[in-house]
Amino acid sequence: MIHQDILDFLRKTSVFKGLSDDLLRTLTESAMPRILAAGETLIKKGEVGNSLFIISQGWVKIVTEDSKGDELILNKCGAGEVIGEMSLFDSGLRSASVIALEAAQVLEISRAIFMDVLDKNPEVGFAIILSYSDRLRHNTTYIEKAIDWSQKTAAGDYSFIEATQPLSVGAGASDDKATELLSAFFTMVRKVKEREDGLKKQLEQLTFEIDQTRRKQDFEEITSTEFYANLKEQARTLRQKRNQS
Amino acid sequence: MSKGKIVSIHSFRGGTGKSNTTANLAAQVALTGKRVGVVDTDIQSPGIHVLFGLDETKMGKTLNDFLHDKASIREVGFQVGENTGDAEGRAKLAGKNLWLFPSSIRGREISQILKEGIDFNRLNEGLQSTITEFDLDYLFIDTHPGLNEETLLSIATSDILIIILRPDNQDIQGTSVTVDIARSLDVPNLLLMVNKALPKYDFQTIKNDIESKFNAPVAGILPLSFDLADNASQDLFSLKYPDHAWSTALRGVASAILALE
Repeated sequence: MIHQDILDFLRKTSVFKGLSDDLLRTLTESAMPRILAAGETLIKKGEVGNSLFIISQGWVKIVTEDSKGDELILNKCGAGEVIGEMSLFDSGLRSASVIALEAAQVLEISRAIFMDVLDKNPEVGFAIILSYSDRLRHNTTYIEKAIDWSQKTAAGDYSFIEATQPLSVGAGASDDKATELLSAFFTMVRKVKEREDGLKKQLEQLTFEIDQTRRKQDFEEITSTEFYANLKEQARTLRQKRNQS
Repeated sequence: MSKGKIVSIHSFRGGTGKSNTTANLAAQVALTGKRVGVVDTDIQSPGIHVLFGLDETKMGKTLNDFLHDKASIREVGFQVGENTGDAEGRAKLAGKNLWLFPSSIRGREISQILKEGIDFNRLNEGLQSTITEFDLDYLFIDTHPGLNEETLLSIATSDILIIILRPDNQDIQGTSVTVDIARSLDVPNLLLMVNKALPKYDFQTIKNDIESKFNAPVAGILPLSFDLADNASQDLFSLKYPDHAWSTALRGVASAILALE
């Protein structure tokens, strides 16, 4: 694996996307390559995370356990994907385990290395802040969109589905949760609308029935009285009078 | 033919939203500048006065007094436009020509008139003189549900009969009988109005189905609305919330009435 590839991988992450090639090179040069055997555990769920990993070769699986303790695969990652970027800033616990699916190579950037680079190159910090505020802005836009869509959905206005089709196709970059959310939201609304349309179709078939025998009986019961006969006569006279005046 | 039209609002069963619809229709027609009266002939269970902000303490002479020759029709008329109170919706009626002719809410008077029955000629004279004395364009009659004698009287005198029904088989069945009666009594104009339709229904399908069953126009399909229930008859909903779907559909019915010659 040549360094240029690794630079490209890093540039795709939200943390490093604002960094110059020189700074990215400094980072990758300090990175530690690691070779994983098939089935080897790279990250254990629940451990304190202190490193970021760039997969340079092979495949790994991201796993957790279901309620019975059986392995549950959340995702599979291959060359070019970056795992655990947030652990460079916080010491949060790993939310899932990462196990090599085959012989694989990763590049590890530990927080110590990262901090060292940061000390020597303060502009790295600024570039990271910039890329995060950019990300925040992007997320806010998407959240606003989600609010707008929620309100429209509540009001039964699904017109945005047609207008937004192209956006959802491009959505779903693995490190962009806001886009993922919006994409999931979009899919949900489309399914809700489909269900609603289906229900409407069913209801369209709901027809009203008149019991004609009962209708006739009820009519005769009311009109057979002396009161009704008088009323009909009076009404006729009244209408004639009104038409003449 | 006299200038003023009698518009009876009827439903075969209770709970269709008849009084609410009558009050809002009358208000919408009055808003267009027409001179409008509303008579509550639901003497068994009067209720429309509440929508016009009239309570027991403010209620003066009633239709019952008129029918018993104890008051002139002029004394019975309550000028809504001059008594709108605090209600936001009713306030829009200020200065409009809209009168309510309330039924008595006193139990003794109700039972008395029910026992004696209403005389067709007396009621008819009353309605005609109401139109003449107040120079009305439209006189709306809020009738008692079902097809009892006083309701038949109201139908018989109508120029326009509006039957309100919910989209269910029981209402459809009852409406079929009322439609037959209206035709037997030669009511010149018959309009159907569907109220409390669940928004998930396809309104156009309901309209087509009902129109073909009764061979009569459906002037509007109004959605079931919790907002309307929430208003709890405190105010005239279509004036307070003019942009609500229920109000829009109701204005459609008002236009259909105004369009009839």
